[in-house]
Amino acid sequence: MNTSGKEAYGVSATSLLVDKYILTGVTILVAFLLVFFMLFPIYKILVLSFFKEGVLTSENFSLGNYIRYFGTPRIARSLYNSFYVSVVTMAVTTILAFFFAYALTRTTIRGKGFFNTVAFMPLIAPSIIQALALILLFGRNGLITAHLFKVDWSIYGAWGIVISEVLYCFPHALVILYTTLSAVDTRLDEAAESLGASALQVFWRVTVPSAKYGLLSAGALTFNLTITDFGNPVVIGGDYNVLATEIYAQVTNLYRFDLGATVSVILLVPSVAAFMVNYYVTRKSFALISGAARPFIRPSRPFRKWGFTIYCSLVSASIIMVFATVVMGSFVNVWPYDWSLTLKHYRFPSLGGYSAIWTSFWISLFVGFLGAFFTLIAGYIVEKKKPFGVQILYLLSVMPAAIPGLVLGLGYILAFNRPYFFFYGTPWIIVICVVIANFTLGTLSSISNIKNIDPSIEEAATSLGATSISTFVRLVFPLSRVAFFQNFVYFFMRCMTTISAVIFLVSATVHLAAIEIIWLDNDGWTASADAMSTCVIAIVLLMLGLLRLVMGKGSSHVMGGAGG
Amino acid sequence: MKNTKKISVLVTILFLCVFLGGPVFAAKKPVVVYTSLETEETVEYLKLAEKELPDLDIKIIRLSTGELGARMLAERNNPQADLVWGWAVTNMEDFRDRGLLEKYKPKGWANIPDKFKDPNGYWAAIDLYMAAFVLNTEVMAKGNLPKPKGWNDLLNPVYEGKLIMPNPASSGTGFLQVASLLEMLDPDYAKKPVKKNTGWEFLEKLDKNMGQYIKSGSKPAKLTAAGEYAIGCSFAFVYSSLKKRGSPVEMVLPEEGAGYELEANALLKGAKHKREAKKFLDWAIGESAMREYAKFKLGVTLPGIPGPADLPQLETIKLAPMDFPWQATNRGEILVVWQDKFLR
Repeated sequence: MNTSGKEAYGVSATSLLVDKYILTGVTILVAFLLVFFMLFPIYKILVLSFFKEGVLTSENFSLGNYIRYFGTPRIARSLYNSFYVSVVTMAVTTILAFFFAYALTRTTIRGKGFFNTVAFMPLIAPSIIQALALILLFGRNGLITAHLFKVDWSIYGAWGIVISEVLYCFPHALVILYTTLSAVDTRLDEAAESLGASALQVFWRVTVPSAKYGLLSAGALTFNLTITDFGNPVVIGGDYNVLATEIYAQVTNLYRFDLGATVSVILLVPSVAAFMVNYYVTRKSFALISGAARPFIRPSRPFRKWGFTIYCSLVSASIIMVFATVVMGSFVNVWPYDWSLTLKHYRFPSLGGYSAIWTSFWISLFVGFLGAFFTLIAGYIVEKKKPFGVQILYLLSVMPAAIPGLVLGLGYILAFNRPYFFFYGTPWIIVICVVIANFTLGTLSSISNIKNIDPSIEEAATSLGATSISTFVRLVFPLSRVAFFQNFVYFFMRCMTTISAVIFLVSATVHLAAIEIIWLDNDGWTASADAMSTCVIAIVLLMLGLLRLVMGKGSSHVMGGAGG
Repeated sequence: MKNTKKISVLVTILFLCVFLGGPVFAAKKPVVVYTSLETEETVEYLKLAEKELPDLDIKIIRLSTGELGARMLAERNNPQADLVWGWAVTNMEDFRDRGLLEKYKPKGWANIPDKFKDPNGYWAAIDLYMAAFVLNTEVMAKGNLPKPKGWNDLLNPVYEGKLIMPNPASSGTGFLQVASLLEMLDPDYAKKPVKKNTGWEFLEKLDKNMGQYIKSGSKPAKLTAAGEYAIGCSFAFVYSSLKKRGSPVEMVLPEEGAGYELEANALLKGAKHKREAKKFLDWAIGESAMREYAKFKLGVTLPGIPGPADLPQLETIKLAPMDFPWQATNRGEILVVWQDKFLR
């Protein structure tokens, strides 16, 4: 509701005017922060890739970097490689997650709560733990490959990347498909069945088409997550070069910031495209979802029940196996030769060590607060206030999902490494970068939560003389506190586990646990990398537990909500 | 409203935590050190440094040679570090020419032989580290593999897929191996373009046996020790640390001549804590620090300090003729040719 035209209710004109200014001010502030900390770095990258030395003059314009990229077969192959692993991951993850969601929403199998919890576990861990676990199991000296089957095969390369990305993306795809399948009216299926369609016919002709937007959206998201990921390819990719690792290699090995920027732009194209597909599809699919109550699911036939139980158990087992392997790997003496237990890998042979975990924790708290706070404000303005130009604010708020973390990080170095940007080289730059990188999901979840606040309550408050600020503080904030804390946990989790956005930003003064994991692994201290991952997982779990304790049962879907 | 009370308590606690956590964000006056020394040794050196320089708050980050260079270049308009400690001389020469270093002759400068320091006072080397093959004796015995004496023996087809070496683009160790081969195998290396060097033919043959090029210089040795490969082209000190931990490893220095690299210190231009940085640099070429380095490194630059007992003494080793100025000028070109040839 707009605040204009309320004089009739006896609210003073000055307070309304002040209120309007404040609203405009806050809107502009949020938009400015997003432009400055998201678009400005990207602009710097674009300029550096198209202009010599990054100086914006017409005679400096050159396509030389792009010609070099596409003219060097080895580097150009990184584009093909990226597409290959992303498309395969997209297909596999979407199909796996679709049947998992189907089992959870359309059958009467037992243990749905358990399967649901397990499926979301990958969200609480650093994205590279999949790769770490797969190397322990299927590496050249892996437990299963070299010691159980004694084969000379190893997982490094494209397959390693695909399998770890599937495990990593699974919960993200599941959230979308679960929502889609539980929202679509199942009475259609029943109607088709009573008209004589076979089970398979119902599935292909009714169930799948009705979920098509969800499938597209899940596919686009998975594609985006995979093509922008840096951690898994760098750990398990071996010689297999993808765009994200190529950016890192150009910058750190050859000092070619311009080529790094060029590859970044090339990576931006597919990731922005995938984002736009998702954006478009999400708007469509909301139209399909009716607010109808969830209908009763008929008891499934034993064959169906057992089939889906086995399927869900297999998927869950793979996810649990990843966690079990990493935790085990951190406690055994020498994997896979000496299984005696030890704590020695927890004496980290690194300069960061426990202080890195500690720093990560504090920074994540800040990120949690600021992220939850700003996304709530953005959501409130977009959903309730709708000032002039609200579409721009909305677009800015959801755009970060299209920007790969590594590209954002590189942009930060290029844009903010000036003496007058006092925050460079301090923890604040990391706080800002992580908040911005995860702004999209935070805003979307705030919007959907604020939607649920009955507008008449707010109208009542306004007509009783409350300003926007007091309405926000005394009404919107308390009513959306569950959303606030969900977002807090989401930002906290992302900050504890993210790698790509911050790998260029950690410094001598700020060591982060997730980056230490990469370095430990890179130095060959795999067991200590497992130990550090275990610590990160433990902290995130503690935080989740703490929050659930305080928020009570009502928020038992903190993880699921955060993933959505 | 029991819930509201709980939440306000939680919020208060979290805010308190954030404020008490302030020290993480507090601006101290530290000395900021960049290093590419191996983490394992750095941890030990730092213990000594903290004891002998109690008034310094040493902030340090350890990155690979290439990552560190990229960072210094990126930060040249707003340097974040005060000094660089233990960084390959090849890169030092390059960065001196790019104007990122500042002249400083630390206390004890005169004690370092001339060949180990920049004549103009931009950098002083502390140690020398050397390329070496690390063999896994169990894997060698199981595969009935002959023990190689040098690079040429590695061309034997029996080693196919069983060798591992670092990627010279990301690892200083990998670079010195490739550079030493280019210099040893082509007597005219300095007179012709890098691309025409006859050493590439050897590297192409070696590529047929190579199982993987990996990003770090110590990892070939560590993966070999773990049984993933038979022979890792790595460096000497990582061998002794693996040996101490009981891994079945053996070391071979290539008979053709071992490539080596000097690791040096320098003050960075634009250092924000110059006084503290100089103090650290003085300490870093002093005798006590050198004695600590000598526990890990084959040779340190301060004369009269013997290397580790479990490694061959420096005088007995045949060294490759390393031409650091040529390497510095041609580093980029060498890497581009190497990547185009060998990265898939």
